[in-house]
Amino acid sequence: MVGPQYDFLVNPLGVVRSTFEKAIASGSDPTSFDAKDWGATDLFSHFLFDQPGLSRVPVLTPATLRWVQPNTLVRFRGMVQDMIGNELYVGAYKDGSVWRTNKFMDVAQFPMGTADMRIWERRLLYCVPVPGQNAWTEISTEAVTNQYMDWTFQEREKRRRADDESDECKDMHVSADMAQGSPDTKRMKEDEHPSLATPSQGALPECSNSGMNMVPGYDGNSLPCLVKIYDSPESDIKLNDVFEFVGVLASNVEPHVDSKDSEFADDFCEDPLQHFPANKVPRLHCFIHRKLAVSDFLQHNTIMEPKSHLIKEIREALLRHLTSVLGNDAVAAHFMLLHLLSRVHARADPLAVGKLSLNLTCFSKETMSAFGNLLIPAVKNLLPFTHYIPLTVEYLNTTALAPRKDYDTNRLVTGVLQLAEGTHIIVDETKLEAGALNSAGVENARLLKNLMEFQKLEYDFKYYKMEMATDVQLLVMSEGKSNILPADVVVPFQPSAVNATETVVGEALDAWRWYLATIRQLPHSIESEMQKVVENDLVAARQADRTLKPQDLSRWLTMGRLMSLSFGETSLSPEHWQMVKELERLRSERLK
Amino acid sequence: MASDSSPPNFNNGPSSPEDSISSPIGNTLSSPGDAARHRGRRRSSTPSAFATPPSNRSRFASSDATPSPSRSRQRGGGRRASMSTPFAATPTSTDDAPMSSEGGEGYNADDIRPTYVWGTNISVEDVNEAIQRFLKHFIEQSSQSDGLHMEGKYETAIKQVIEIEGDSLDVDAHDVFDYDPDLYTKMVRYPLEVLAIFDLVLMNMVSRINPLFEKHIQTRIFNLKTSTSMRNLNPSDIERMVSLKGMIIRCSSIIPEIREAIFRCLVCGCCSEPVAVERGRISEPTKCPREECQAKNSMTLVHNRCSFTDKQIVRLQETPDEIPEGGTPHTVSLLMHDKLVDAGKPGDRVEVTGIYRAMSVRVGTTQRTVKSLFKTFIDCLHIKKTDKSRMLSEDAMDVETSLGNRNTEEIHFDEEKVAQLKELSKQPDIYERLTKSLAPNIWELDDVKKGLLCQLFGGNALKLASGANFRGDINILLVGDPGTSKSQLLQYIHKLSPRGIYTSGRGSSAVGLTAYVTKDPETGETVLESGALVLSDRGICCIDEFDKMSENARSMLHEVMEQQTISIAKAGIIASLNARTSVLACANPSGSRYNPRLSVIDNIQLPPTLLSRFDLIYLILDKADEQTDRRLAKHIVSLHFENPESLEQDVLDLPTLTTYVSYARKHIHPQLSDEAAEQLTRGYVGIRRRGNFPGSSKKVITATPRQIESLIRLSEALARIRFSEWVEKRDVMEAFRLLEVAMQQSATDHSTGTIDMDLITTGVSASERMRRESLVQATRNIIMEKMQIGGPSMRLLELLEELKKQSASELHLSDVRNAVATLASEGFVALHGDSIRRS
Repeated sequence: MVGPQYDFLVNPLGVVRSTFEKAIASGSDPTSFDAKDWGATDLFSHFLFDQPGLSRVPVLTPATLRWVQPNTLVRFRGMVQDMIGNELYVGAYKDGSVWRTNKFMDVAQFPMGTADMRIWERRLLYCVPVPGQNAWTEISTEAVTNQYMDWTFQEREKRRRADDESDECKDMHVSADMAQGSPDTKRMKEDEHPSLATPSQGALPECSNSGMNMVPGYDGNSLPCLVKIYDSPESDIKLNDVFEFVGVLASNVEPHVDSKDSEFADDFCEDPLQHFPANKVPRLHCFIHRKLAVSDFLQHNTIMEPKSHLIKEIREALLRHLTSVLGNDAVAAHFMLLHLLSRVHARADPLAVGKLSLNLTCFSKETMSAFGNLLIPAVKNLLPFTHYIPLTVEYLNTTALAPRKDYDTNRLVTGVLQLAEGTHIIVDETKLEAGALNSAGVENARLLKNLMEFQKLEYDFKYYKMEMATDVQLLVMSEGKSNILPADVVVPFQPSAVNATETVVGEALDAWRWYLATIRQLPHSIESEMQKVVENDLVAARQADRTLKPQDLSRWLTMGRLMSLSFGETSLSPEHWQMVKELERLRSERLK
Repeated sequence: MASDSSPPNFNNGPSSPEDSISSPIGNTLSSPGDAARHRGRRRSSTPSAFATPPSNRSRFASSDATPSPSRSRQRGGGRRASMSTPFAATPTSTDDAPMSSEGGEGYNADDIRPTYVWGTNISVEDVNEAIQRFLKHFIEQSSQSDGLHMEGKYETAIKQVIEIEGDSLDVDAHDVFDYDPDLYTKMVRYPLEVLAIFDLVLMNMVSRINPLFEKHIQTRIFNLKTSTSMRNLNPSDIERMVSLKGMIIRCSSIIPEIREAIFRCLVCGCCSEPVAVERGRISEPTKCPREECQAKNSMTLVHNRCSFTDKQIVRLQETPDEIPEGGTPHTVSLLMHDKLVDAGKPGDRVEVTGIYRAMSVRVGTTQRTVKSLFKTFIDCLHIKKTDKSRMLSEDAMDVETSLGNRNTEEIHFDEEKVAQLKELSKQPDIYERLTKSLAPNIWELDDVKKGLLCQLFGGNALKLASGANFRGDINILLVGDPGTSKSQLLQYIHKLSPRGIYTSGRGSSAVGLTAYVTKDPETGETVLESGALVLSDRGICCIDEFDKMSENARSMLHEVMEQQTISIAKAGIIASLNARTSVLACANPSGSRYNPRLSVIDNIQLPPTLLSRFDLIYLILDKADEQTDRRLAKHIVSLHFENPESLEQDVLDLPTLTTYVSYARKHIHPQLSDEAAEQLTRGYVGIRRRGNFPGSSKKVITATPRQIESLIRLSEALARIRFSEWVEKRDVMEAFRLLEVAMQQSATDHSTGTIDMDLITTGVSASERMRRESLVQATRNIIMEKMQIGGPSMRLLELLEELKKQSASELHLSDVRNAVATLASEGFVALHGDSIRRS
């Protein structure tokens, strides 16, 4: 890189501008930038990942939103809740004889010429914080914050001093690209100024703002975000994916679009953006996005080599912990461990291979309150995204489980079950009493059943239903075998003692979280010899017991896979297969 | 013009260039500098709007070769009907056109010849001539051979339009392409200009044919060669003609849009000349036009003398099949005008041809800043309803075609597709391939799938002059152990079939299946509401959990399954409704698992009258067979440890399968060949003879006339699979095989091992009947022997002991009870609880 060091954090748009100008100066035709980048994102990815600048980028949360400045670099972690579609914008245009770009910006900074312009498109994504995200996953941004705070304070002080003449203070930060000697910098400053010096810049929206309720997916502490994605193939980002977006925070005083003036607004309120006031839903022009796995949410990323003895130790400790939580029921704890490790690793329509939903039965109201209070926090502590559903007749009748498309606002209204991949759901069926289900209740029960059986959720698009593949772990706690929620494994729960909540050392907890996040993702295979053994076992079992269904055999294989994975091994060994069979035997004994 | 969002400052702002956003279409053109100027040949579409003054008209005639922009044609927000005169529009002043996409006035080249479409090298004259040639001389290929002096297809069409005083001419873009690919390309690329010329040529032709015809006729292009997916619309498509498929999700109310306004002076009452919409607005005259009056600011709009057109904004959403995995559907707005208004309702699947346009979004009326955004919409030219996700229901002639709804329910099989399908049908293994493609995820069950395939294709329905009906629909019953993927098969067929209804036996009542009479809550009139079977007329009615259905509901099926009608006589309504539906039902055996020791009837527990109406009854049994188990185990293991995608075989995808079946059902009507008929007779006689045991006098009826009908239907369906117009011998053989495969499983008499149709028609097999008779005889003998009239009673168990002593075969108490009951009914004995007394 030849030029001066850009300040990526404070003036990312300067980077965009100067790279654009450089590209133009080097003779590139702006028409060739259609759906392409001219090198700005490369610089950012270099800055973020090679230099590691990522940790210095503030994360957008309700707290940080108070002090993060518009037009600076921020990052946002969230789930894609809705895709709003593409937006066509003037990407490059000629201002006099100079080409300008509008990329990564909402409002043109220069008067736009009339004739020469290129239209580009970008995608709009409505993102929300991952539903059910547990507190321990949140990035402790204190370090960043302090550093950042200091310097925004300075800046703000300065600005206050400078008041109208903010040019100077601006220079501090944009000097980098000012130095480029662009003849237009002066003008640019003036143009930027009004948006920066708006009164709302310091006083950011309060969470208690009543208007917030209008924003879908907003619940007090979470912060939705409208992300604008440039030049990325559509298949990159899918609904319900969890992403980290790094980009420019747009100035939150978006000029108000006069609805009377808009042709379509009269009849349709077509513009979904109208439903997200800019001061409540920040806009992010994304430079770089990356998909987050569960392991990205671990705090102390003490990356451990998956060494087998280490893994065995962690496994033993975790199993002990689960056993203690489950009142010394070792069998249930074993199943619990396998259940926590399960994920859908393949789909052969309509089957989802690899899921292992668990139904712990023999709970009564009393034992539920005793063990539920232990189990629910324990799971919360282990997995990043968890959700608890107390199943009652009223809940089924009144809750919107599946997302629904609202054609009036042209938005996807979220439902309880719109969850990110890998979310864990505990369904507490002990609270269910006899009662009448209305049509919504029947529909909800059906949705839950489909989710359980096929790992698919139907989204209601009014004129048709669209099935979305999901990957959530379901744990059902019930008195008897749940018929509403037919789980893969039914384990009668037989506790022998109620253990008080043990305090878990932070280090152990970290290790367990790491274990659960990493082990799930390991590949797995089977040797052809072992395959023979397994096949013979299956045939023998079926010959012996005709009531065995293909699902049962399938479950055994899933358990075999998970069992060997839980030891950190990537291929099925005879001992682990034996353990699975033993476990199944113990379980079927309990069922009798 | 209500659609116009052009902000007011446009009116005063032509001098400040940054106030306006102009053409975003730079990228569609080679030289962006010209972009702004070449658009906007305005078109006026409504008859009402076509109040062209005579002078204007003559100019059209004279400017035949140059599509003067003043020939305005208006359709919507984009193509604003500024009746701009060509002379007023100099290229320099066009930059301030309010709308991005049609940023300029039509450019009149000031009589420099030849005239080109702006920014291109397309000569207006050439296009004009090409269109004239096309409209005059295009003859459809199919009719070309008929005669040399045929009139062109569109010449005829124009005459028709004139006759019915229509206002639009539908032009098939395929025809344009066939006749002149170059013209087609130009039309798609520069639709505004070319369509303007099209209209012009059309009007000339019309006035030549009928000089008195006053209405304006509009060209409606449809059926483009390529159809874009909504998702792939991108900036380079702006200003091009596109064709999209989608589902209407919202329609706005109808918006009256002013076309021409008349003002009256409040002072003198003088009325102004009609003022046309210019750039989306109407400028109110500032002073009275009358020389004597000249009052300032006195003009007022006279509403009832203005002319309006209808406008509607419709939102179109991607159909579910176009949405990639993990995406949400995209939507696009359509602008509809005049006749197109209300052409579709929410929920309709349509194919739309139109022009993709973009419009800049302004931040506000007062702000100078321009949001760099564009809103896109499609200016709709033509709309066609489709429903392609399901198979086409057959017999287009039977479908009520109301006059207004042309194109409804009519799937166009384009030639390319047909050729592709025919190619497919020629493959020798097409039958196997289709079988494999049917529910590829359901494992094995190939014969069942073959039967289902036959059901999808169906036989020929026959209507004799005498009024007798022979159904062509094939009914199938699947009986099987739980967990043998019956329901999945059902779901799959339901997805594939035209107008299928899926019900569960447990949840359906008789009236829910057939039809019911209700009182309209508002008027109090009795109305007939259709049930599932009526709704699936010409489709497949899938009934899950058939065994759990109430007796009453099941009995309603008798009429449907043979006569294919439903008769209602209730609450003063006597009606017979058509229910030409195939029934696909599935049931569990009575004891939830199939008990091989019991007869099929005992296992299924369905009334024999109903059973005989099923053409094929498949028993899907989970046999304790090591081979099957091993295959299952292998399957499951590979499912878990291999990439499941790699397991997929070479199968047809669902859309291809659907079109294949639809095409066959619509176009292929096979006839029995002599050879096949003979084979059918021979085979039928064969089955019937099979019941004759050598050396046994008893006759087992192996097949009934119903079976021969089934066989005919099956062989017809098999011929259809091959796209063959003749049922051949091999079809009949396969039909026999299918029937036998199904029947051997379902009609095997477990005590004799032969096919026994009696099992199905009466519920008791012939040999079983004989056994019972002999048991009754034996019981009678014992009773005669051991008991006297009026003597002491005897217990059933004692009787059983006695009988066991005599016969070698195994006996149950229930058998004895049955036998005694028979005797009791004869009056030979009296039965009180467990004790028998001779009477």
